[in-house]
Amino acid sequence: MNTNTRKKKRVDQIVRSIFLASTLLSASFIIIIVIFIVMKGITPFITDNDGLGVVNIWTFLTGTVWLQGTAFQSNLYAVGFIIVNTLYIAFLSLLLSLPVGVLTALFIAKIAPKRLAEFLRTIVELLASIPSIVYGLFGSGIILTFVYNLAELFGVQSKGGNSVLATVLVLALMTLPTITAVSEVAIRSVRKDIEEGSLALGATRTQTNFKVVLASAKSGIFAAAILGIGRSLGEATAVSLVAGNAKSGPNLGLFDITTTLTSTMLQGLKETTGVDYDIRFSVGIVLMIVILLTNFILNAVKKRVGNVNVK
Amino acid sequence: MSNKRKAIDIAYQAITYLASSVSLLALSMIVYFVWSNGSGLLNMDLLTKDYHAKYYNGEMVEVGDYSTTLRPSDLDDDIYYSEQYGIGLSDAKDREGNPIILVEYIASDSPMLKLADRNSEDIIALEEGMLISKVAFFDKATALRTFGAEYMVNELDSATDFREIVFTSLGGGIRGSIITTLYLIGMTMAMALPIGVFTAIYLNEFAKKNRITSTLRTLIDTLTGVPSIIYGLMGLAVFVPLTISVTPATSGNLISGSLTLAVILLPVIIKSTEESLKVVPDGLRQASLALGANETQTTFKVVLPSSIPGILTASLLGIGRVIGESAALIFAIGTAVKDDISIFGKSTSLAVHIWSMMTDEPANIELSSTIAIIILMIVLVLNITVKLLSKKFMKPMQ
Amino acid sequence: MDKQVFNIKNLDLYYGKFQALKNINLTIEKNKVTALIGPSGCGKSTFIRVLNRMNDLIEECRIVGDVHFHQDDIYHEKFDVIDLRTRVGMVFQKPNPFPMSIYDNVAYGPRCQGIKDKAELDEIVDKALKSAALYEEVNERMKESAMDLSGGQQQRLCIARAIAMNPEVILMDEPTSALDPIATLKIEELINDLKEQYTIVIVTHSMQQAARISDTTAFFLMGELIETDNTDKIFTQPKMKETEDYITGRFG
Repeated sequence: MNTNTRKKKRVDQIVRSIFLASTLLSASFIIIIVIFIVMKGITPFITDNDGLGVVNIWTFLTGTVWLQGTAFQSNLYAVGFIIVNTLYIAFLSLLLSLPVGVLTALFIAKIAPKRLAEFLRTIVELLASIPSIVYGLFGSGIILTFVYNLAELFGVQSKGGNSVLATVLVLALMTLPTITAVSEVAIRSVRKDIEEGSLALGATRTQTNFKVVLASAKSGIFAAAILGIGRSLGEATAVSLVAGNAKSGPNLGLFDITTTLTSTMLQGLKETTGVDYDIRFSVGIVLMIVILLTNFILNAVKKRVGNVNVK
Repeated sequence: MSNKRKAIDIAYQAITYLASSVSLLALSMIVYFVWSNGSGLLNMDLLTKDYHAKYYNGEMVEVGDYSTTLRPSDLDDDIYYSEQYGIGLSDAKDREGNPIILVEYIASDSPMLKLADRNSEDIIALEEGMLISKVAFFDKATALRTFGAEYMVNELDSATDFREIVFTSLGGGIRGSIITTLYLIGMTMAMALPIGVFTAIYLNEFAKKNRITSTLRTLIDTLTGVPSIIYGLMGLAVFVPLTISVTPATSGNLISGSLTLAVILLPVIIKSTEESLKVVPDGLRQASLALGANETQTTFKVVLPSSIPGILTASLLGIGRVIGESAALIFAIGTAVKDDISIFGKSTSLAVHIWSMMTDEPANIELSSTIAIIILMIVLVLNITVKLLSKKFMKPMQ
Repeated sequence: MDKQVFNIKNLDLYYGKFQALKNINLTIEKNKVTALIGPSGCGKSTFIRVLNRMNDLIEECRIVGDVHFHQDDIYHEKFDVIDLRTRVGMVFQKPNPFPMSIYDNVAYGPRCQGIKDKAELDEIVDKALKSAALYEEVNERMKESAMDLSGGQQQRLCIARAIAMNPEVILMDEPTSALDPIATLKIEELINDLKEQYTIVIVTHSMQQAARISDTTAFFLMGELIETDNTDKIFTQPKMKETEDYITGRFG
């Protein structure tokens, strides 16, 4: 082996190890995230929080008031009602965005003339690319006013429109493009011969689309729903601008003010030490667990729905 | 086909039309909303001005050095003109509805253009667009802004000198947030691009197909599903203390923000780069190796150039994400809007600037919308570019 | 009743600029099995899709000539294609059951026609499954997904699905090409039973199959109908040289 080859080999080894190091670094971040947030987040439950006393994990997970007493002087934090709120709002928003998204996807993939389909696809892409802060701005400018007026129509005085309904509407709007795009891919990939099978039986195009195409795409549509729920659960800034920051709950009335795990985390940013600071990481842990569990459960449901007949 | 069946079909079709119109309606309403609220403030000044108003206390440098300019004929009727001092003032209201006095016109020989700063040795100038809060005199009552522009002008013209004029720049500019955003883009990309591209190359070119590789992949893929607020918490718990200990920073800062954003971008960059690496034909690699090139040369001279479109797409998507990101930065940097930007200090990107103003009482919807217009325009351009790029580069590959 | 179900005259079919069928003249008779044979790409599958207008789905497809179903010109603009497809059923190359239960698959067609009565549907489904010789195998698991059936069962389900519409004609486009020999045999037996009640047009790539099950055979080559005759005659004394070359295996 001459020196040149040996040198080349050495360079190869160095470069390869740089690449490997990058990869290990990239892969390590998820572990870093979990470790650090868990470390910070369990502090309130295992230390006496500068004399305030340990936060009781059971009351924390089941309680119905965010903070009893005042900041810096109390360890009585609880997120039980916030977990309920968060799931409630995410599923309500899915209830709106899933049908609209799937029907839009069906329209784009199967019904609309080519030009119109291309146009709508661009619209959906644009909606998907709008940052959440802009949705939040739109929400607090338009949706709050709308909800406020709607509440008045029902004789309810809402807090400037800040409410469950406003949050649900903003989230539905934000998840709509994701759900539409993913469903469209699912609908497009439905086997052509299944459609033909339906048409050959004398079903109309519309009957075929609604009965056979959607049924065949259901697994992909379910995946879209899971993505949508995930986004709803994790969305923060837009929600914080329309939720209304309820301190206790659960808040199930459509015109009631509410709070979610994320909007709670964005409250009280001024605190920089102590339990009032650490508790935000505890909420972060709860959020991650809620998202993981929801994903896990929905994926299990998806598997069952995918294999067993529905209808 | 029966009429009933036809009717049912049409009804079902109509529902899909209706559903599709929701997206169209939503987009037009968002665009209409930000444009109608924000377009009024949209001009070049906005991009170069400071956000926070600055206070000035001035006095005459030389008594008797009055203006000789007569009232210009093109001045509007509701502007009150002081001939002695050569300034035109008008009444206005601020966003909270309080009366303010606005400087509409300054003559070129006005003494107000060179005032002595009472707080320093400097010479300061009143400028058009500034607000005058009060003029205090030696021998009579102070003319406050609440008394109106007409009163102030009359008092000025009937006095030879004044003790003090207090005025403020209007503020409301977003120069600081623009610079912050640019810093964040630059620093984030500088960190995320090499690590992301190297990772993609390793996974695609070198890694053996085994359990360890698939575990690494799973770990990286899991990052995609993490909400940005969780990244923010990580920034707060990891990068903020880290930067405080090794840099002059004393709180959340642009470096901790960029580090956080870099982690957010990693999965995007890795995925996009890997996709473009996958379409590089194996024949190219083998040809290069057969010619005596080593792995490194093959990677950098043959494989990497072919994946440039993917890297470019990833960069553009990354820039879009940096511009739009808010939740993570709120934690990893903070929400204080600043005019003097340092990478070791706090300041807000455009998106966080909106959040700061919207959580203020009262919320500044106008300026927020103006920033939203700017963000939307940038995001739109980025998206179009990505689309064109993928059309141009991805076709010949397949 | 007339004996001619389909009467095709001077049919040309184009995909864009490509002419896929050239001047086809053919009559399809009632309660007979007509087999369409020929090398792949000869137009036999295209032709069978003319009969229930499945070619409508292809955007660039254009048709010139007369195709009469009984007295009706099926390419007349006022002709109801949905109605045609309820009277002319079709079975495809690959089994294509819908991702629903076995019961829902068979009941799909009648339901699309607006039949909702449970008892009526039950009767239709049972009868169709019996006719397709599938009843015994699936009777106990009607609510299970059709996707869990074997390939041969799926194809018989697709035949049952077509029968449930009570059609006059069943078109079969290489129905056994994706099946193993035993499943193929079952389908062939089924076709023999079905011709008592239905007119069957079958595209097949296997000459043995055509010989076994059909009464009439039509030989297609490069978009043209070369020869059509009784199956016995075609295979023993073809008139055209191309037909002879093909059935003796000289090409194809």
